[in-house]
Amino acid sequence: MDSSAVKIAPQSPVENASSQVSSLLVVKDIRKSFGGVKALRGVTFDLRPGEVHALVGENGAGKSTLIKILSGSFPADSGEIRLENAAYAPAGPRDAKAKGLQVVHQEFNLLPHLSVAENISFEALPRNRFGFLDKTRMNARARQALDAIGLSDVDVKSPVKDLGIAHRQLVEIARALQSESRILILDEPTATLTDRETERLFDIVRSIQAKGVAVVFVSHHLNEVFEICDRVTVLRSGETIITEDIADTSPDRVVAHMVGRRLAAEMAQKVDHDHIGDSALRLDCLQVPQSPHSDGVSFDLHYGEILGIAGLVGAGRTEILRTIFGLQKPVSGQMLREGAVTEITGPDKAISAGIGFVTEDRKDEGLILDMSIAANSSLAALDQVSSNGFLLGGRERNLAEELGAGLNLKCGTVKDAASSLSGGNQQKVVLAKWLARQPKVLLLDEPTRGVDVGAKAEIYAILREQAAKGVALLVVSSELPELITLCDRILVLADHKIQGELHHTEFSEEKILRLAYRREEEGTEE
Amino acid sequence: MTAAVTDTAGKPGSKGFSIRAIMREAGIGLALIGLIIVFSLASEHFLTANNITNILTQITINLILAVGMTFVILIGGIDLSVGSVLALAAVVAGKAISMPGLGPAEAIALAVLAAMVAGTLCGILNGVVSAWWGLPSFIITLGMLNIARGAALQISDARTIYSFPVEFNNFGSLTVWGLPVVFLVALGLALVAWLVLSRTVFGRLIYGLGNSEEAVRLAGHSVFWLKVAAFTICGFTAGIAAIIYMARLNIASPIAGSGFELNAIAAVIIGGTSLSGGRGSVLGTLLGAFIIGVLANGLILLGLSDFMRQMITGVVIIVAVILDHYRAKLTKG
Repeated sequence: MDSSAVKIAPQSPVENASSQVSSLLVVKDIRKSFGGVKALRGVTFDLRPGEVHALVGENGAGKSTLIKILSGSFPADSGEIRLENAAYAPAGPRDAKAKGLQVVHQEFNLLPHLSVAENISFEALPRNRFGFLDKTRMNARARQALDAIGLSDVDVKSPVKDLGIAHRQLVEIARALQSESRILILDEPTATLTDRETERLFDIVRSIQAKGVAVVFVSHHLNEVFEICDRVTVLRSGETIITEDIADTSPDRVVAHMVGRRLAAEMAQKVDHDHIGDSALRLDCLQVPQSPHSDGVSFDLHYGEILGIAGLVGAGRTEILRTIFGLQKPVSGQMLREGAVTEITGPDKAISAGIGFVTEDRKDEGLILDMSIAANSSLAALDQVSSNGFLLGGRERNLAEELGAGLNLKCGTVKDAASSLSGGNQQKVVLAKWLARQPKVLLLDEPTRGVDVGAKAEIYAILREQAAKGVALLVVSSELPELITLCDRILVLADHKIQGELHHTEFSEEKILRLAYRREEEGTEE
Repeated sequence: MTAAVTDTAGKPGSKGFSIRAIMREAGIGLALIGLIIVFSLASEHFLTANNITNILTQITINLILAVGMTFVILIGGIDLSVGSVLALAAVVAGKAISMPGLGPAEAIALAVLAAMVAGTLCGILNGVVSAWWGLPSFIITLGMLNIARGAALQISDARTIYSFPVEFNNFGSLTVWGLPVVFLVALGLALVAWLVLSRTVFGRLIYGLGNSEEAVRLAGHSVFWLKVAAFTICGFTAGIAAIIYMARLNIASPIAGSGFELNAIAAVIIGGTSLSGGRGSVLGTLLGAFIIGVLANGLILLGLSDFMRQMITGVVIIVAVILDHYRAKLTKG
């Protein structure tokens, strides 16, 4: 009640918005606290029918909390939400869906062992007149839902676990779209998609937009926001900073609103490429087990170099890293470390050869989330913080604090659980774990996935600093701007073959993409 | 006595996640104190020196098994075979101790060694098979439960072995200042296990394994050997428990220990260790074993039947897990 007295209106963003189109959904000054933490401190925005509305902000800005309130996971503490001029307070996710609001979450909610059709119909499995599952109807319904978004190449009877991660995402969207919905919220839908699949997704978004559905698009990728969205709302620290028409703003401006400071210069800061030394690692016709042919992959990675590997999902990028690190055995070919043939049969061998591996999956592979920052930082260097097998708590804390300071890690104390950190800071802990060993070669798979813009720039700076110190870095990334900003050289992979190599003077997204798609074009022309 | 319990409960069992760990164990400690107070008020016989000695003796075997079980549950596994392994180890030790031509000291030493070796071997087998083929330990140890029981019956001809040296039999009822020596052995084991889990690299990795096997593997540690080690420790403690069992009852029976595995698991779970691994401590297990033991003893003093006791223990297990569910929610960031 009396909270209205202390309400501070955020720079009245809605009133500024140009036109007078009637809003489908109006969110006014909603607030939400968890314990003492204020997750939302006044979020205001509106949604018009048939628009694609971007919701952007750094991790922890309140996007997820907002989505959870809208989708009925929990109620707001205060504020007002109106859907088509009626008060909207969903009792739960089911209720939100019944009212026409669908969410496609960042984490998959599919059941891997069930078929695509079963997954699509799971909320309301069709029954025949005997009460048994009506498979014909279920499959037909699924077929229709998939066709509606152009997924005609997916068999509705195949189990979801056999689909690639990108297809799973699209199936999830198909599931959300099959019921009549007025609002579709896409939470980081492109995080796992390649550029081509993203295009496909955008086509789908445009077609549902044309039907008058309002789409909320949550993304870290501003280029996508600018490609597909009509308006953008920027959140920072739980508050709406501004809502703007895309036509009236620029990515730089949006970033500035997001971080409250200009980072563009920092992001674009160019490396000097003069510190490249001898060969640290050489692959000689290395064939990974997943490769369908025996050509193998050959390249040199030098000390002081940041070498990028670009390619579509399934091109074999991660497999190369996993093979180098000894997580799987190569079928043929060899690996040379500083010119000497080295056989790496497991992570322990890789580590003693001076190699570190920042994996793609931070939550399951990179970190032990329930353990402290200190315990995570020392996980690969336990010998440094123990004596005769006994842990030395003080030394461990010192190590973590030192590494944390070097990486500008923002945390309470190093005794806090890693799960308490934001994505960017978690990634810094993963880096700390490897930097503790002072690796000579560092393999990185999607080093900034799920990391916000500010932390991204910091991670780039850290990686450049390591390169300047002489570490050899091998980076796999699906984000071309990331590779272009970061790397000295980029290898483009398609179908487990290196299609080309680009030097930093010849980097462009177009060139990389042309190489990445080359194989497939050849295939279709035949 | 009660003061000592709160004291230890206040100390962090595992340094890595101290506050949560303290919350966890303090709660269990409080529950135990509550039980002790209730039973002291309800029965004048409860808080007597005699009865305390009784309780300590009664919980000894379960405590030893539960300490080993803690390692296995912490890595997200389970060992259903410890009761049968106890019987097998006891029978093997019984055969050793009654070998003709040995002096009492040699016979006892041989028996102790035989029990430890038998238990340890079963543990190694459990660990190697489940870790090598990546199979659920539930199934593998269920197999071992039958194998060990069958082996115990086979070796002993399904007959109970008895008439051990007097020194050995006396050991089972020996006390120091009213404390049963067998209990001190169990307490010593618990202390060592606590040190290992909270202070060593190995212990850290056991917790790590229960939380994220991949993270531990990628950090260059051998997941295989860690798993084998956890099961080996569990088998070893079953061997120790077999010796204690023989010394207390002065027999080695091939049908001994039936159902013991479930009591050990119950102590670990009541003690707040998560069945999915990664969270928990030996201190919790100690308190869990105490809760089961105090409950059993107290309820019988109150005149309840053994059947009632069993029902109430069951309820306590379920309540403990429900409470743990809420505690985990409360202490989460």
